[in-house]
Amino acid sequence: MSGVRTLTAEIGKLAALPAAWVAVAVATLGSLGVTVLNAAGVRDAVAAGDSAALGYTSAVEAAFSAVPLGTVGAVVLGVVAMSSEYTPNGTEAGGGRQITTTLTTTPSPWRVLVAKALAVAALVLLVAAVTVPACLAVAHQLVGDVPDVGAPHDAVARTVGTAVYWVLTALLALAVTVVTRSGLVPLVVLVVNSSMVSFSLLVGRLTPLARFLPDAAGISLFARDWEPPGGVALAPLAGGLVMAAWAVGALAAAGLVLTRRDA
Amino acid sequence: MSAPPARVVTAELVKLRGLPAVVGVVLGTPVVAATLAAAHAAAAAAGASAGGLALATVPYLQVATVLVGVLAAGTEHAGRQIATTLTVTPARWRHLAAQSLAVAATSALTACAGLAAALTAAAAWGPGDGVPGARSGVRPLLGALVALVLVGLLAHAVTVLTRSLVGALVATLTLLLVVSPLVAAVTEHARWLPDRAGSLLYLPGRDPVLGPVGGGLVLVAWVAAAVLAAGCASARRDV
Repeated sequence: MSGVRTLTAEIGKLAALPAAWVAVAVATLGSLGVTVLNAAGVRDAVAAGDSAALGYTSAVEAAFSAVPLGTVGAVVLGVVAMSSEYTPNGTEAGGGRQITTTLTTTPSPWRVLVAKALAVAALVLLVAAVTVPACLAVAHQLVGDVPDVGAPHDAVARTVGTAVYWVLTALLALAVTVVTRSGLVPLVVLVVNSSMVSFSLLVGRLTPLARFLPDAAGISLFARDWEPPGGVALAPLAGGLVMAAWAVGALAAAGLVLTRRDA
Repeated sequence: MSAPPARVVTAELVKLRGLPAVVGVVLGTPVVAATLAAAHAAAAAAGASAGGLALATVPYLQVATVLVGVLAAGTEHAGRQIATTLTVTPARWRHLAAQSLAVAATSALTACAGLAAALTAAAAWGPGDGVPGARSGVRPLLGALVALVLVGLLAHAVTVLTRSLVGALVATLTLLLVVSPLVAAVTEHARWLPDRAGSLLYLPGRDPVLGPVGGGLVLVAWVAAAVLAAGCASARRDV
């Protein structure tokens, strides 16, 4: 099959997964919900005159606090895109796995992996392009005109940064799932790592080198004024490049594993 | 004709024992908990008690009991096992009760092992008093155990309701680890969320409205509501 047709096939397979649409809903509606809560909190705090309790009064901060939910959505998308290939059918349907069909129609594992990565990246990019501006608009509507206190907020750069962070997270999840073939372990580890009790933050309390871990490196893409425990955060561009290097490395390793395995 | 309750519970325990993922969770939890407690201990300030350091791993231990609950129900629906299960035990509520008991027992075992390993590691590497639980007492640890078991039951009920392993896993973990801290940063009403209320069982005095008993009861109410919804749903559908 030509490259374009492989890509079309991968997009079709991804769009047919119920879990993928749940992930999109979590990323979009979840982020909007948290933004509404945050923005309402900011509005009430400003009205009551105790904005110090929140630490910020800007609509932009309120919107970007919701980024972790989109990260969870990106993780789920990246994982199910690959784990669905390895989920066996019911025994009454022969117990086959989709990966055998995939590798029969497209015998080059590298081409399958690149097409899958492109399909996942495109969907995550689309989700980010809709979600982040929508969150910003909702937050502005709710908060209204209040004097901004807090970090400088270059909204455009952070929007782009959020999209890049989500895409790279999804690609890392995809690469890990290629190696594990089961979605359970990458799902648990990566969802925990997108949360407030992230393993990377814990390691960061032990060694400053933890800021070079993929997820910790990329946080400065969307967060400003963020300090990892026990160290200085990387600059947004440097952090993004470190995270991108991790993603490319992980995909390369995944491709090697895929070429050396039967399926 | 139906089997006596004890045999239904035993069957559920045998099924759990037969799942490699559940065995992996039970055996892996102490290792992970000890590592995390050692990491917390290495980063902690002087004077931190071993009990406090062990309790710092509870948010991670939640993942283990959630996995037990989700796997118990999710694997029934991953293939046709649910058809066999309901042929043997046609009463839906009886099956749900037996599976919940098996999940509670396995969660308790996992949580006990995890907390004990965390406590040992914290006492070994921590800067504190060196005597496990000497300063904080045993009650917070028991509270953590109860909270962890209840969280496992909540995850189990959500999975029975949704019949999807991945969906229930992602929904529960996102609620516990991502949504709850985000909401707690914004509004005090986050105290009514299941894990926030449950955390009062082992971190008493953190909330001005709910005490340890109140927090525990709120979590029990969440679990009861979820189990009720799961039971009604499974009693009304084919599988």
